[in-house]
Amino acid sequence: MSKQDHAALADAFNKDESRVDWHDQTLWFVREKRDKAVNKVPEWEWLRETASQIKNNVLSNLSEYLTQFEAQAVQNGVVVHWAADANEHNEIVYGLLKKHGVDRMVKSKSMLTEECHLNEFLAEKGVDVVDTDLGERVVQLAGEPPSHIVLPCIHKKKEEIGEIFHEHLGTPAGNADPQFLTHAARLHLREKFLTRKAALTGVNFAVAETGEFVVCTNEGNADMGAHLADIHIACMGIEKLIPERKHLGVFLRLLTRSATGQPVTTYSSHFKKPRPGQEMHIVLVDNGRSTQLGKKDFRNSLKCIRCAACFNTCPVYRRSGGHSYHTAVAGPIGSILSPNLDMKKYADLPFASTLCGSCSNVCPVKIDIHDQLYKWRQVIVQEGYAPVAKKLMMKTMTWVLSHPSVYHTAGKAGRWFMLNTPFTVNNGLNPWWKGREMPEAPRESFGQWYKRNRK
Amino acid sequence: MSSKDKILTAVKASQPEQRELPPLEPPTEGRPADPAKQFVEVLEAIGGRAYIVSGWERIGMILKEAYTADKRVVSGCAGLGFMMESIDDPHSLENVELAVLEGHFGVAENGACWITEDRMMERALPFIAQNLALVIHKKDIVPTMYEAYQRIADAEYGFGTFIAGPSKTADIEQSLVLGAHGPRSMTVFLIDEGMSDAGFY
Ligand code: SF4
Repeated sequence: MSKQDHAALADAFNKDESRVDWHDQTLWFVREKRDKAVNKVPEWEWLRETASQIKNNVLSNLSEYLTQFEAQAVQNGVVVHWAADANEHNEIVYGLLKKHGVDRMVKSKSMLTEECHLNEFLAEKGVDVVDTDLGERVVQLAGEPPSHIVLPCIHKKKEEIGEIFHEHLGTPAGNADPQFLTHAARLHLREKFLTRKAALTGVNFAVAETGEFVVCTNEGNADMGAHLADIHIACMGIEKLIPERKHLGVFLRLLTRSATGQPVTTYSSHFKKPRPGQEMHIVLVDNGRSTQLGKKDFRNSLKCIRCAACFNTCPVYRRSGGHSYHTAVAGPIGSILSPNLDMKKYADLPFASTLCGSCSNVCPVKIDIHDQLYKWRQVIVQEGYAPVAKKLMMKTMTWVLSHPSVYHTAGKAGRWFMLNTPFTVNNGLNPWWKGREMPEAPRESFGQWYKRNRK
Repeated sequence: MSSKDKILTAVKASQPEQRELPPLEPPTEGRPADPAKQFVEVLEAIGGRAYIVSGWERIGMILKEAYTADKRVVSGCAGLGFMMESIDDPHSLENVELAVLEGHFGVAENGACWITEDRMMERALPFIAQNLALVIHKKDIVPTMYEAYQRIADAEYGFGTFIAGPSKTADIEQSLVLGAHGPRSMTVFLIDEGMSDAGFY
């Protein structure tokens, strides 16, 4: 475990209660926007089921799809690299920059590069990386990691951002107007886009059939970087593949509605071939994914499309903040992915949950998130971390119980947690695990049920 | 063993048993009766603007009224009569005030237009311009992304993108700001050949 576990970090975040309320409400607002968008799509549940089945097919044929994708991409004139782990990924990216004599690069959002700690790696080699997503630029200037995979600086108040911009971009002190600050960032980052010869982007989906990949942004920063640079490097986890182009029609309908409640991102860009004179590279990264794929109970986590709906709905995330998870991908899904990378370091994360099931309920690809969290707890005990697990469970319970809004906002399922949680852990761990049946996650939210039955 | 072989071997060993792909045709309940109307409503809701026009002449008039001669307007549309000279370096597009390009079709459910690079003049143009206008035909509006991908399933392109409204961000306390890095405004002209401009003159 890291020096400070989730419960301790969450306690630190909870020192400022009004701030926690604000964080909680801001994310709940995003969750509500998601609900509104979802309710406008009558076939929503059909879409989730279809997406889930497509991803099941992907996982069952991943090696074939990877081979097909590489062959197609190469035919399109793209150079494909394979990285077994984070370090190899970082070395590949650095090698490409070095080859081109480039020591300054723009980068759009890529949680994979966060997972691999690419920025720190490149900084040590003397490469200057500018994160161009506004939220990511804010946390980069503040010297912090993102606290949320879709809304990287959701934990920052506008006054704090105003201060950061005042210090680093020279905006007038005390100006915290979002419109003004965004404009200042626009000018600051335009200069970077126009002067950088290399751009790195993430990948939302990669199509085995065609060898193309799709990058979704609202700001247009991935496109600004890639289309102005001589070399475009796209980094992706191997689980990002989908079989055919037409499957994008399912995932693009789900992704942004789940993430922010928009019907689609402003830009859904399909990169297939480099533009004349440009070099395009794809780095395919494993970094633990093939191991996770082999774990029957946890492989479903690889279906994740990183929409963060499970973050926004999670009562624990909303009231403990992204940094309390001390990992690149926080929230419920991060608590499943991280122990696979380092069980000891992240043993606390599967305990950072009330198991209320709200995450599984909103997940657009139907990952059984709360079941997997529950299963991780058992694995952690089996692997000999029982004393740690016991301590963690107590700490999490104490934390949850001393922050009533955490279980209240979890709603009905939260009350279930209250009823079924042994208040004394003296009975050992068995009553917790043996004595409880996981509630079946409701197929639809109350709101959806109400809407349907009101007619 | 190379990393590629290592990864592929590990993946193959871990893969679960074969699962079939599901059928993709969605239930049609709740489809909009008038996709063009829905397209305009959604586009406006996401910060874009729409004009339904009779043809290119009308578009030219609207643009002349909105953009004075000292502003750099770049057009990739043959129909507008002032096609831009070729572009050598995308960086030179930095001061483009307006780019007018022809899209392929629009999507009613999300207000997006599909455009491929052969119609962009330069890949950077729709992103770097201060303002963007796309032209499509009103009849070319499909209800959802399902029909959109039916249309482009076999299309050939090096780069293509769906654009839905102006560039935007809500990263600062969830306050929506239009014009993050790309265009601050986005206009879609919907050409309806059957329409009369009589009322406009
Ligand atoms: S687990 Fe599901 S809800 Fe959470 S980020 Fe991934 S796709 Fe979204």
